[in-house]
Formats: sequence, C-alpha cells, structure tokens
Amino acid sequence: MTKLETIPEELGVAGSWNEKGGVLWLTPGPLSLRDLAKTMNMVQARFITITATELPGEEGFRLEYHWDLDGTLLGFPFTIALGQAIDSIYDLCEAVDWIEREIHEGYAIDFTGRDYDPLMLRQGQKLGVNLRNTGAPDKPASGLLGQKEAE
Amino acid sequence: MSYTIPMGPYHPGLEEPYKLDMICEGETVRDAKLHVGFNFRGIEHLAETRNHVQVIALMERVCGICSNIHTLTLCQAMEKLTGLTPPPRAKYIRVIMAELERLHSHVLWAGIAAKLMGFKTMFMTCFALREQVMDLLQSISGNRVNYSMNRIGGVNRDIEDPQALLRMVDALEKEMVKTVIPIFTTSTTAISRCAGVGVLTHEKAVSLGVVGPVARASGVPQDLRKAAPYAAYEEMEFEVPVQPAGDVTARLLVRALEIMESCKILRQALTKLPPGELNAGESKISFATGTATARVEAPRGEVIYSVSWKEGSQKPARVHVRTPTFVNMPAIRFMVQEARLADTPLIQASIDPCYSCTDR
Repeated sequence: MTKLETIPEELGVAGSWNEKGGVLWLTPGPLSLRDLAKTMNMVQARFITITATELPGEEGFRLEYHWDLDGTLLGFPFTIALGQAIDSIYDLCEAVDWIEREIHEGYAIDFTGRDYDPLMLRQGQKLGVNLRNTGAPDKPASGLLGQKEAE
Repeated sequence: MSYTIPMGPYHPGLEEPYKLDMICEGETVRDAKLHVGFNFRGIEHLAETRNHVQVIALMERVCGICSNIHTLTLCQAMEKLTGLTPPPRAKYIRVIMAELERLHSHVLWAGIAAKLMGFKTMFMTCFALREQVMDLLQSISGNRVNYSMNRIGGVNRDIEDPQALLRMVDALEKEMVKTVIPIFTTSTTAISRCAGVGVLTHEKAVSLGVVGPVARASGVPQDLRKAAPYAAYEEMEFEVPVQPAGDVTARLLVRALEIMESCKILRQALTKLPPGELNAGESKISFATGTATARVEAPRGEVIYSVSWKEGSQKPARVHVRTPTFVNMPAIRFMVQEARLADTPLIQASIDPCYSCTDR
C-alpha cells in the first residue's frame, strides 16, 4: 500500500482521492483538522499553504489545506461558518505559523489554541481589513495588534 | 544582561522594508523576531477586480526579480480552468525564460552576498555578469523587468535567433566557471564569512517546510522541476544540487551549481526548440467553475497559485499566492540564533529574501 492510499484509511474516510485542477482532493469528513495534521506528519508530507476563500453571502469561509507528498499536491477542504473558529495546527506543524497569522489578520478568522504576533500587514491595523469583503467583526485583535488598537 | 537591537524597518544592510528585533548578549544573538508587511499591497484582493488579461499584468508585479515566474504559474493555473494547452514551442520558451530568470536572480544574489561580505570587487563582477543576462531577457521580450511573455495557452513572443542566445549562454557560463565560482569557493574572504555561519539544520528545514536553494542547502532534495515537472522540464536533463551543511557556504554553493545547471538546461532548450505555434490561438476564453492550482520552481523556491473562477464571470473569485520567501523567512530566526551580530545581514541575505513577494 502506498503512502497515498494509507491516508484515507488513517483518516477513516470512506471516499477516495478526487483529482481536480491539479490537486488530489480528499474531503476529510467528520475527522478533525488536527487528526489530519497528525496523519500528514506520519506520512512525512510537506505542508505548503492554506488558501482561505470567503463564501458568498454570510456562508462563512472555505479553508483549503495543502500538503505535498513526494511531488503530488494534496488538498483538504474545510468550511467554517461566519464567526466560527478553527483549530490551529501550529503545535503539530511549525510550517503553518505565518499562513495562520496572515489569514487571521486578512480574514479575521481565529485559529484556536495559539497566540498571535502580528505579521504586521499594516493596512488598517484591524483584523479582516485586507482580504475580507464583508464587514470585519468589531472585536479587538489579539496580541500586539490588539494592544496597538487599545492604545 | 540581554538587550534588543532593532534592525529596520528600513533594513540598513539589505535596503528593504523589513525589521528584525535581535535579542543579544554581548555581540551574540540569542533570539530574534521578524516583522514584515511594511509595504503590504493587497494584490490578492486587487486580483479579484481584474479580468483574465489584466490579472496577468497585475501578478507580474508581485515580484521585481521573478516576475516571469508569477505569470507562468498563474497562466498554468488558468489553463487548467480553461482547458487550453500551450503548444510545444511555447513550453520550451517558458523553460528558457524561467532559466534566464533563475540565472539573473542567482547572479544578482551572488553580487549582494559579495557586497555584504565586504567583497565589493566581486559585487561589481557579478552585476556586470547579470547585465549580460538582462540583455538576453531584453533581446527576447523587449523588457528588463516585466517581460509580458506569458498568456493563457502559451507565450506572446517568439525566440527568433536561438543560436545567438546560445553564444551568449556559452560566454556567461565560461565567465562563471573562470571567475565567480572559483572565487566564491576558494577565496579566504568568502570562506571566512560564510563557512559554519547561519546554520539551518536538516531537521529544522523539514519542520519549517522551507523551499528552494534554502532547503537544498540543508540537505532537502526537493525541486519541482524534477518532482512535478511542468512546461518542458520533463524533456530536460539536469541535476538538482544538494548540500548538507545548512550554512551560508552551502546556500552559496547550491546557487552557484544551479547556475551551471541552468546553463545546461538553456543549452538543451535552445538547441531542441521545436517549430510551431506560440499559443493555443484562442479567440474567446471561457472559464469553468472551480479552483485550479499550479506550482513552479522559482529561483527562490516553490511558488504556488490557487485560482478560483465562476463560469461566466469576467474576474477571478479568488487568487491566492504563496511565495517562497513567505515560507523561507521564518527560518531566519533560527539561523541567527547564536550568530555574531556582524554576521546577521549576510545570514538574512543568504535566503535571498524578496520583500516584494512577501508584502504582495
């Protein structure tokens, strides 16, 4: 069994990989993002990025997590409702640090279980200003960014 | 007693908008914090306001050094959404442009590294060589920075005289072998400033997911041109230089060897350039609903574009760019730990950082 074949089994996903747009997609189902990150560590996949997309209306956000497995690009989509947070995987995958911080600042999405130092995407000094289409939540930013706003 | 030295936000060594707060004891750096985003441009958001022609021109401006790579990656992603395939000649021209860009990027970096080593004669030599590569790029595209070569389904311009370009590649390679590589690898100045300095261990490189020459200089043999070939790379024979030491010397050696491999690829592509059309010759482009992703090995490492489109729309719903510097920069924190303060500008420069890409 190849590493690729072991992933759905490890995640307990009934479906199989679906190639689309240059990515092998797998919908992780009910399993958590953190289980996925542990499985990716187990198969020694390389984390690449998270693509955040704001869904129309007030549907929330789609977060696509990408790993590379021996030259194959893997994708795992997660959807979160407006105002809902998602688990951070920073403690499991160090490479995720900056992109989680960027999405936190750009879209005002909270990744639970971590602290943020701002990446200093300076425009607006407010979460969600740079990339979000709908109004950013009127809540203080965490970390240094929040301190600056409070000042 | 420890104290913090703020270097930036206009970095005095690198002359870029970037800040490093270094926590020092004496002249030894114990830890560091990085700050970026001083010139954040919101290009991803702007891309959602451009049509399929305008967005190529916009993304070409993500980076001033590897501008061609950004349009190549974007076009490859959009080709997946439109079903257009570039003809063989266009794929070869894409390889030629990508390797010329790698050459000028690596030689530019070598010049800047030489300057930071205090080796200004070498800086001048490298920049004179780089000028030759820029001349090549200008002779093909008519431009020195934004080449406007890529379009959906192919390229905009032809390479009319491959033989003339071959002669220039030969001359460039000869100068690299005769001057640049021996001096960088044997001179006391280069060795004393670089060897054992700014080490990124193999384990840390894997953990941080660094890419490109930074990864390869820490013993991680990843290169998308081999692992996931695009354009005409599958038809090229070349090696992927890997060095295990993880220090500035290793990063220097990897780039020097990559210059030689680029010359090898260029020679093959220019010799075997197939006849035919430059692009798919589309009169009307229609996008299918969905998301497409493309990856390319830029001079600094892997670039990834994720493009979402809705059928019938004139503009993309989302364009996400992950640039190599965005993943390589966090490694600086670990490279400067326990380094001498005086070595930190060179250590930072050794990842060949691009602030334009990071502040996209």
